[in-house]
Amino acid sequence: MKKVLVLVLSALLLSLSVLPALAELDTENPVLIGYVGALSGDTALWGQAGLNGMLLTAKQINEEGGILGREVKVIGLDGKGVSDDSVAAYKKLVEEYGVSAVVGTNFSSCNIPIASVADELKVPVIATAASNELVTVDADGNLHPYSFRLCFIDSYMGYLAGSYAYNELGLRTAAVIEDITDSYSTSVGNYMVETFTSLGGELVASEEAQNGDNDFRTQLTKIAAKQPDVLFVPWNYENVALIGQQAREVGITAVLFGADGWDTTELIELSNGALEGGYYVSRPGFNLPEAAAYGEIYAAEYNVALETECLYGNDGVQWIKTAIEAAGSDDPTAIRDQLEATESFDGLLGHMSIDPSNHNPSRDAAIFRVDSDVVTYVGIYEP
Amino acid sequence: MQQLVIGISIGSIYALIAPGYALVYSLLDFSNWAHGEVCMLGAYCCFMAVKVAELPFWLSCVLGVGGAVAVSLFNERFAYRRIRSNGSPNMFLMIAAMGLSTTYQNLANVIWGGKFKQMPKLFSVSSINVGGAFIGTTDLLCLALALIVLALLLYIIRKTQFGLHVRAVACAGRTAALLGVKIDRVIARVFMLAGALAGLAGILYGMKYNVYPTMGNVGLKAFVASVIGGLGSVPGAIVGAILLGLIETIASGYISSGLRDLISFSLLILILLVRPSGLMGVDVQDKA
Repeated sequence: MKKVLVLVLSALLLSLSVLPALAELDTENPVLIGYVGALSGDTALWGQAGLNGMLLTAKQINEEGGILGREVKVIGLDGKGVSDDSVAAYKKLVEEYGVSAVVGTNFSSCNIPIASVADELKVPVIATAASNELVTVDADGNLHPYSFRLCFIDSYMGYLAGSYAYNELGLRTAAVIEDITDSYSTSVGNYMVETFTSLGGELVASEEAQNGDNDFRTQLTKIAAKQPDVLFVPWNYENVALIGQQAREVGITAVLFGADGWDTTELIELSNGALEGGYYVSRPGFNLPEAAAYGEIYAAEYNVALETECLYGNDGVQWIKTAIEAAGSDDPTAIRDQLEATESFDGLLGHMSIDPSNHNPSRDAAIFRVDSDVVTYVGIYEP
Repeated sequence: MQQLVIGISIGSIYALIAPGYALVYSLLDFSNWAHGEVCMLGAYCCFMAVKVAELPFWLSCVLGVGGAVAVSLFNERFAYRRIRSNGSPNMFLMIAAMGLSTTYQNLANVIWGGKFKQMPKLFSVSSINVGGAFIGTTDLLCLALALIVLALLLYIIRKTQFGLHVRAVACAGRTAALLGVKIDRVIARVFMLAGALAGLAGILYGMKYNVYPTMGNVGLKAFVASVIGGLGSVPGAIVGAILLGLIETIASGYISSGLRDLISFSLLILILLVRPSGLMGVDVQDKA
């Protein structure tokens, strides 16, 4: 009986000793971090995952005592994956909610206009998967001081894809189909082709289509006539699934090669085996051990399929936390200075460092192979 | 040759939707902008039946078409009929249709989310090689179904008593009413017929591509087709649809895919300027 009493008492004491630590978390004066992403529309899959990742990480940080002892609050607004709504969401986060920094979006087309607004409002924005050069520098090469990103840039993905197709897969003729309404697609596609041809490969067909098209067979028929070894498809997954199936339908046997727009768990289900034997270059995703562990907690918390975007959400919050702690304040300009000075940051997406001249991170990239019913992680590729 | 096949296959989907615009226009003199969304809802009904309720595919198709019929009838009963009986101008019908279209699109977004849903594929990605042109098996099925259904539609309009009523109402509504045709009933049935065609088109479209909330936008193309063919003329709508499919394919195949919509909509404007009654809508007498 005495033993039990001692146990109960010590348990009580223990809980009391923990409680003050929790009570010390300053909830009156939270650190506010904003998120802009597509929370509705046909790319809401990514937007929701990014926000969920941020919320989960904020919760974990708060459980461990917050940032500088203050609670972290994440505010997510819907940018719908379109530029004007995303710019409006960013402005609202800054002007109405008074956030210290913003994470998002995953679209270059949204972050390019946000970058100029961020320069004016002087609150740093960290793009997730927005990989176009112009997200952090303007057309003349001048730096957008308040615009950052977590992903590698289009030219790097295009360079890896072109190089892998030519050097590792031994393919010699290529074709490309680009979405002329999307700067991501044209820029990745152009870099794929540029690298491939500069290594000695030949471009036999180059076709264009538009986002919203469902039928690509007209363009694919022209490509089929040239029978290339590889077809570069720098599109988002819904269209990749359609292009893949229609390419097979019109008799294209080429290896299909893509970039991070392919990177989702739904790719296999939507594509009906048409992408078998294809490759894409993307982030290492959940293949790094820390990311896999986070993925398990994430899946248990939200009961949804894992999307890499949630790792971006985590890395965004953690990077901002590191910057605030280094600066000793959540003043947006102080955060900006620390983000720019990042020499080494280890997130769930691997190691990265920031080039202060253009705010682009240098980080590891991985190659994936699509088999009939599974995507296989080939490994980190450094040409 | 291959481009011809693709053009016809795109056109055959437009051909299933376009007569819906034509029929409603011939009776009520307004463009039913919610028609594309009826397609979309039909496709979702079929998708829900087959993927969620796990019913056999043929039954799901029937339910999908049934769902589209119900939505189409609902539009007529609870929106258009009231506006008609209030004696409001036709413009009100068109505005109501636009409202319904946006409502349904947003509703689908809320219920099913914006993600692409996939219909079960009856055939894996396969195609038949005919004289150097690849014809997708799904396309063949679509084309065959479209031909059968459209032949049936023309038969109904031309040869049955119901068809006669439709043509009578289209031609002279009041006279037809005086002669004992129950106008509201004819209109309701026409909406059901249009809904059934739209539902089938939605399911076929979903099978060829994907099911998503904004898929009803294909209705806009079908509308263009029905204008090209002559607003109010069912055979005209079908011819216009195939023609539009071919023009689009040829434009993106031989000119530029970026200019495709520009070319097809320029054609629409040209037809409205040069031949407002379209290819086959010679005059009012030929409606339906």
